[in-house]
Amino acid sequence: MIVGSQKPIEEIWNMVKDFKKVLVFGCNTCVAICHAGGEKEAETIAALIRMKASQEGKQMTVNHLGVMRHCEPEYFEPVIDEVKKYDLVLSTACGVGVNFLSDRTGTVPVYPGINTSFYGAVEAPGVFKELCAGCGDCIVHMTGGICPVARCAKTLMNGPCGGTNKGKCEISKDVDCAWYLIVERMTKLGTLDKLSAIIPPRNWSTARDGGPRRISMEHIREFEEKEAAKTETAGGKR
Amino acid sequence: MAPEDTCTAEPYRAYGAELKETRPYSPCRAACPAHTDVEAYVGLIAQGKYTEAFEVITSVNPIASVCSMICHHPCEQSCRRCGVDEPLAVRHLKRFAIEKSKDYRRAKRKLVKKTKGKSVGIIGSGPSGLTAARDLADLGYSVTLYEKHPVLGGMLAAAIPPYRLPREVLKEDIDDVISKGVEVKTNFEIGRDAKLDDLAKKHDAVLVAIGLSQSRSLNIPGVDGPGVLLAIPYLEDVAFGRKPDLGKSVLVIGGGNVAMDVARSARRLGVEKVEMVCLENEQEIPAWKWEVDEAVEEAIKINYRWGPKAVVRENGKVVGLEVTKVLSVFDANKRFAPTFDTNTTTVLKAETIIITIGQMSNLAFLKDSPVKVDERGRVEWNPATQMSSAKNVFVAGEVVTGPGSAIAAVANGRRAALAMHLYIQGETIEGRLPAQEKEKIAQMPSEVVEKISKQPRMKIKHLAPEVRVKTMDHFEMGYSEAEALEEAGRCRGCGGGAVVDQKKCMACLTCMRVCPYGAPVVTSVSEIRPEYCQACGLCAPECPAQAISMVSYDVREIRNTLPTIIGKVDADRQEPVIAALMCTHHAKVIGVPNNVKAIPVHCTSRIDILDMLKAFESGADGVAIIRCGSGTCKYRDIEPRVNARVKRVQDLLGMLKIESNRLEILSATSDNGGNPYSAICADFSERVKKLGLRARK
Ligand SMILES: Cc1cc2nc3c(=O)[nH]c(=O)nc-3n(C[C@H](O)[C@H](O)[C@H](O)COP(=O)(O)OP(=O)(O)OC[C@H]3O[C@@H](n4cnc5c(N)ncnc54)[C@H](O)[C@@H]3O)c2cc1C
Ligand code: SF4
Ligand code: SF4
Ligand code: SF4
Ligand code: SF4
Repeated sequence: MIVGSQKPIEEIWNMVKDFKKVLVFGCNTCVAICHAGGEKEAETIAALIRMKASQEGKQMTVNHLGVMRHCEPEYFEPVIDEVKKYDLVLSTACGVGVNFLSDRTGTVPVYPGINTSFYGAVEAPGVFKELCAGCGDCIVHMTGGICPVARCAKTLMNGPCGGTNKGKCEISKDVDCAWYLIVERMTKLGTLDKLSAIIPPRNWSTARDGGPRRISMEHIREFEEKEAAKTETAGGKR
Repeated sequence: MAPEDTCTAEPYRAYGAELKETRPYSPCRAACPAHTDVEAYVGLIAQGKYTEAFEVITSVNPIASVCSMICHHPCEQSCRRCGVDEPLAVRHLKRFAIEKSKDYRRAKRKLVKKTKGKSVGIIGSGPSGLTAARDLADLGYSVTLYEKHPVLGGMLAAAIPPYRLPREVLKEDIDDVISKGVEVKTNFEIGRDAKLDDLAKKHDAVLVAIGLSQSRSLNIPGVDGPGVLLAIPYLEDVAFGRKPDLGKSVLVIGGGNVAMDVARSARRLGVEKVEMVCLENEQEIPAWKWEVDEAVEEAIKINYRWGPKAVVRENGKVVGLEVTKVLSVFDANKRFAPTFDTNTTTVLKAETIIITIGQMSNLAFLKDSPVKVDERGRVEWNPATQMSSAKNVFVAGEVVTGPGSAIAAVANGRRAALAMHLYIQGETIEGRLPAQEKEKIAQMPSEVVEKISKQPRMKIKHLAPEVRVKTMDHFEMGYSEAEALEEAGRCRGCGGGAVVDQKKCMACLTCMRVCPYGAPVVTSVSEIRPEYCQACGLCAPECPAQAISMVSYDVREIRNTLPTIIGKVDADRQEPVIAALMCTHHAKVIGVPNNVKAIPVHCTSRIDILDMLKAFESGADGVAIIRCGSGTCKYRDIEPRVNARVKRVQDLLGMLKIESNRLEILSATSDNGGNPYSAICADFSERVKKLGLRARK
């Protein structure tokens, strides 16, 4: 899932202070799980903005709302008219949600209430850890299930650098060395010999470096379009 | 006295009432024939909301005062706390709430407008008749109650002895009913003063609620003549203050609750030697255990396993009862089929014998009426419609259900009232009357029981036996406020717990991780198992999707009401405004300093970070979260979570450059006899004052 963290109130205040009617809009999926931007946190941020406004002597209306997901239109369509009544939407969804929603709110700006941090897992309640970088060409079958792209500070593909130190990465003693983990894991799996194969230089065009990515599933899209056409010719409206 | 405008015509609806109806009932509520929402009203008592508790109780039961004295409380027998230690003292808590609401209820009495232009006649003013009268009056019908006795109340007035049911208590209930504009005709016996047919013509519908007001007798030699009495006429004498002549010794035949009343009232009439004789043994005796115990305390001897054979008379005067040894009372199928050892007999000596072996109705007035009576002398009726065989004649109470309890008669009276209403409105009745059996939550699983700390039931005090047998006065003492609050705090709030809005839940597992009792199970969504949930409320403020609500309270209530509670903050104030959110679970808030706004909460577990923020947003200079005294929390694992919430809000306040020590979590000082809140509130207020008053632009 996508992990995010709340922006400091000072930063948020600078974004919102010139608006009269602000909606803090939460997303109840990934960012709710990491307690950053679900409906609950949206309400919390709304309260903080109101308190800040009163400290600053500013008159503004700040409300909150939440829907299941900001990255699929069906989820926010039922409330979009309500959303558009505001001068500003402070979305606490991940960046995906902020972008996606802002394409659909006309003249109402959508600002980010949280920082979208990474793709991660819930290591323990309240602890979220980055495990994947979304590079578009997964190779973890060659590295014992551990991703060197996301988890090695230098994204090294063929073994650790000289900074590896008793299992820790040189950037911080709190960060595991991904290659140390890979070796340990592959030893356990009995596949250490696979590591002698050289992983060739990667083609980063599948990652962010290749420009914005889009995946279109033709079999689903075509089907949906045909269905839509059918109901339209039948005079119905979906 | 409560002002007039606090009166509501609408019946009180506990929070989540609609939601609650769709959920399994708490076992106490399911066990109550009238389905009184015990969980709701005990919870209200625990919060010091006594008149609200009164409303919950009386919404389904117009003779609540009576029940608070004499109900056999099936709710207690099925209380889930039985699995932990002892059941809640539900009846006693009811009594407390009702006594606290005396002024309120009197101020509330008012005439209901007769909007329906239709009339009903009710024969019999026992629990079922009174209940139907109230419900139908509330619905806007003109109601006339016909009662053969000079007073209303049925067996409550005419049979239950005053030492168990003080008549001023009964009067409060009756006054409530009459105040709705019910016309009363006492000393009016149908069959003697009017015919059923006349009533059926006069009214749009008639209810026969005549109970079982005749005693059954025994067909044994010597039974006829002076010295042998029947229970009901005897109890009527007692009830109406006529002193029956009993001689020096009394023998009561029978082992039921009525027999106990007969024997115990005989003691109170000055008879030193009172004995009882019954077919059953100590385990089989049908009377409630507490009745037996109290009778024994009052020096009443019970002769078990003897069957009456003949009344022994000398010169016409009763001297005793010849009895035969009973071998068994029930057959293999648990049916009543006594067997005797006819060779073993004895004589139990007594000057007066009172026969208490059951009751029946006097149905003479139904002769020649269209209401059919079956070959065994019972009124024919349809329980699905509460109708007799005659078109507009309905039936309710013990005349058709057979002997039971007052509250069962109330429940049946309610059904009958609804049936009559539907009938008069020309609607079908079948299938519209509420189901009598309700689905209830299961007993607590053992892994939950283990997590609940033991807390003994508050003792119910009685006058000493040697004192109480000297008068007909009520012998049971009510709870003090402190006792009631403590007892109410024992309730586990069964059935009032957490419910997940499955449209909002995204299965984040938070509730499952938070719950101290293992109630939530998260698969594709969370499902909170009611038999595990203790309604502590810890999970709801933690859910990041705000998907959890509570059946027994509004999770937003605190933050919604805080602005009003805090009110307008005076810019020139001298003292800081303090919002104190305090656990008042078993203590009532009294005498906090003026600048402290007390917000009682059931447990600090229910305080959301949004509530704390709202207090500051509403202008509080300081916010105190006050948990109950150490070791008194009835839930577990609450403290660390609440501490974490406080810490989070302190951090957020820091971001707003508000001193984080304007928010503190404190513990009520327990057991110093005084007010557990006032001193700590005053200290906190001083500390906040030193920080200064918050300026607002
Ligand atoms: C001694 C005794 C002790 C009891 N103790 C308890 C207890 O502790 N707890 C408990 O829950 N229950 C107790 N009960 C049971 C309880 O009293 C009954 O369940 C309840 O009263 C039944 O209510 P009802 O409305 O069916 O009839 P009743 O209360 O019997 O009322 C019927 C009324 O109809 C009137 N009536 C009859 N015929 C006519 C007529 N022809 N015309 C006009 N009026 C008529 C009668 O006078 C009577 O007032 C006790 C009963 C008795 C007898
Ligand atoms: S908008 Fe972002 S946070 Fe919300 S569901 Fe989609 S990916 Fe997850
Ligand atoms: S603990 Fe309370 S809610 Fe639960 S069964 Fe007992 S009285 Fe009812
Ligand atoms: S905490 Fe809320 S969203 Fe998470 S599983 Fe429980 S009910 Fe669902
Ligand atoms: S945390 Fe408390 S209210 Fe929530 S499910 Fe568990 S027992 Fe019930």
